[in-house]
Amino acid sequence: MKRRALLLASALLLMPHRARAKMVTGLIVAAAPVPVPAIDINDGDGNPAGLGQLRGRPVLLNLWASWCLPCVAELPALDRLMAADHRITVVALSLDNTGIPAAKAAYARMGIAHLGVRVDAKLRAGEALAASMLPITLLIDAEGREVARFVGAADWDSPAVRPLLDALEAGHPITTAMAPPQAKPHGAQPP
Amino acid sequence: MVRKSVLLGALAAALVLTAPGGAPAHAETAAETTLTGRFKLIDQDGRAVTEASYAGHLRLMTFGYTFCPDICPTTLAVMAAAMQALGPDAARVIPIFVTVDPKRDTPQRLKAYVAAFDSRFVGLSGAPDAVDQAAHNFHARYHVNPPEAGDPDLYTVDHSAGIYIMDGDGRFLAKLPHQLDADDIAQRVRAALR
Repeated sequence: MKRRALLLASALLLMPHRARAKMVTGLIVAAAPVPVPAIDINDGDGNPAGLGQLRGRPVLLNLWASWCLPCVAELPALDRLMAADHRITVVALSLDNTGIPAAKAAYARMGIAHLGVRVDAKLRAGEALAASMLPITLLIDAEGREVARFVGAADWDSPAVRPLLDALEAGHPITTAMAPPQAKPHGAQPP
Repeated sequence: MVRKSVLLGALAAALVLTAPGGAPAHAETAAETTLTGRFKLIDQDGRAVTEASYAGHLRLMTFGYTFCPDICPTTLAVMAAAMQALGPDAARVIPIFVTVDPKRDTPQRLKAYVAAFDSRFVGLSGAPDAVDQAAHNFHARYHVNPPEAGDPDLYTVDHSAGIYIMDGDGRFLAKLPHQLDADDIAQRVRAALR
């Protein structure tokens, strides 16, 4: 496996400039489900709201931050998914240093009504989950294991995402063919 | 496995950005010049600053830009976590973010941006040639890509990754790969403070 990864890295280096940058994004399927490490998550009132409370349900764990415009632009689609799909729990975890106020301000600005405020209490979720870039959305099965992750922003409530979410809900294998469409870069203005 | 792939991807991206070619902004090589670490820039409050403005403080410095159109690197978040990990020692350290996109990253914009990471962050911008000179003096490469979708303000900037440790006189001590975690960075900083 390591060798394949190295080959991949070498192949990336030989590719044209722009194409390589794009290779980092997209759906990455785990070879085998990986237990998600424990993260200290707080809700909007500062109370613990860890993923352990959601065991038994599939989860989309979205990592975002107020300084990441594509992340903020992706929130409304996740909010609509949370409202429409009751089999999956969407956890939008803010990695902001300014925590709850920054998350609440972004929710108010974007009209987020269904997602709960969740913040990375110890500012270590990015490291624990190896998120060297944002946004990243982890697809977590009912047993609390990461089965895949999507790097970049997606239109999470589009019909094209259905096969992926259906597989996650049913506990069926996920394949790269189920990759959701990347959300188009946009001219979003900073806060 | 998943984690490894992402790390490898990030590593590959970092290599891409630091590798020669791809129309870098500067043609010189590290061998031809020394990394002087000099700069004449404008801070997030509009003040003219140089490397001497932070005398007596160790600096953690990185180059980048704030308008990420599809994905955003978490380098500044890791630097902020390193500042937290340093505890009282952080009082002797200043984290500095230098934009390579001064057209969009004005001091006002940088002020709001760096504040989202840590109140101790300094965000530096300046005239394009001043930014160019600063990048040159750190051997940092960057390349502004053509605008996308016909919007002149929608473009990406490829740039070198990594975090510089500069001493209290602004001299280069070390360059850390950007995938280091906060505890590793804090450890390197503590060693430099001794």
